[in-house]
Amino acid sequence: MEFKDYYEILGVKEDADLKEIKKAYRKLALKFHPDMNAEAGAEEKFKQVAEAYEVLKDDTKRAEYDEMKRYGSSAEQGFKPPPGWQPNGQGQTGDFGSSADFSDFFNSVFGGGGQEGFSHARQQQSSQFKGQDFEIEVPIFLEESVSGLTKNLAFHVPVFDGKQTKQIKKSLKVKIPAGIADGERIRVKGQGAPGQATASGNNNLNGDLFLHIRLVPHPIFDVQGINLLLTLPLTPWEAALGTKVEVPTLNGKINLNIPAQSQSGKKLRIKGKGLKSKSAQGDLLATIKIEIPPSNTNESKRLWEQLAEVEHFNPRQDWSN
Amino acid sequence: MTNITLHMHLDELCLSADISQEAIIEVVEYGIVKPLEGDTLSEWVFDLESTHWIKKAIKLNQQLQIDWVAIAMVIELMKQKQQLEKQNKQLEARLNRLL
Repeated sequence: MEFKDYYEILGVKEDADLKEIKKAYRKLALKFHPDMNAEAGAEEKFKQVAEAYEVLKDDTKRAEYDEMKRYGSSAEQGFKPPPGWQPNGQGQTGDFGSSADFSDFFNSVFGGGGQEGFSHARQQQSSQFKGQDFEIEVPIFLEESVSGLTKNLAFHVPVFDGKQTKQIKKSLKVKIPAGIADGERIRVKGQGAPGQATASGNNNLNGDLFLHIRLVPHPIFDVQGINLLLTLPLTPWEAALGTKVEVPTLNGKINLNIPAQSQSGKKLRIKGKGLKSKSAQGDLLATIKIEIPPSNTNESKRLWEQLAEVEHFNPRQDWSN
Repeated sequence: MTNITLHMHLDELCLSADISQEAIIEVVEYGIVKPLEGDTLSEWVFDLESTHWIKKAIKLNQQLQIDWVAIAMVIELMKQKQQLEKQNKQLEARLNRLL
């Protein structure tokens, strides 16, 4: 096990006072916090900084650590706590992270057991037994979000066994309700990291599993709130003369009348063919896109030229002013 | 088959996330989230989007040791960023289909 030099991690001297330690922590925490810094490695760096601060801000832990540091620095090979070493911290972590987040070094010196990152004095008793919450992203298809589905999930949960963190594989069958939207979350109670059984044998403090729903991009439709958006390609003559086209919806095809003189970009609203929320029914909005045929035969070229001769339309008229 | 929920009561959130009622009251008072329903404290119900922000706000308060006014601002900017990123992605997808 690697010995952690918490003073070096925070960039402070060994005789630094609490004020200096706090200042160094705040500076580094702001720099590396995963919500502030998306760079690879920032989160790992933040965890190290939080772990160092967790120890050095606390007089008792710091004294234990200093003693260990004197012992550890004389060890020639990997660090091991002295024989018979008993962690004094009663396994409680503070406000900064779970012991699953802390290094094996921290857990071997100070013990683990605090499984959740939001301990408060009022609840520290229970926090010793609470399993970690866990969130996974669940991609689903648009059609599945409309109809609802049963999803088989397989994922790994980090579990701290009192000595080190291990990944355990879990699999689960979850019913995802119809009408779920992109970005919504679903809570699966008690399916996060396992809690530790209390003396009374009560083991209902497993963490929760949160499913973060992500819609897979659809090949035809885009989603905007409860409306569905569709791009409707038309030939120039269909747009000019008007026509009737078959348009896909989520529940089958429908016929849509295209009025004559339809401009590119014009939106046609097909009522009630969007998504459904609890209180409203969305529409399907088809945006016209005019496409020029790729083939250019002599005959079609002659017809375009004929049109150009009789049509005096200038789409760039605004530029001449 | 497992049981799922889309909402959490105040008490349930305190127990599940191991956070204090006082911290949640701060988060609501600073306008970071609003309860979905409930006129009195014991009746407060949150959707899971709100519980996500509650947990994040409390974590930021503890980990970065910044006050609630700054956290309210940070969370508001995070929400806006998330919304704009989503909108940008949608508009890019729309643009690709129209070009």
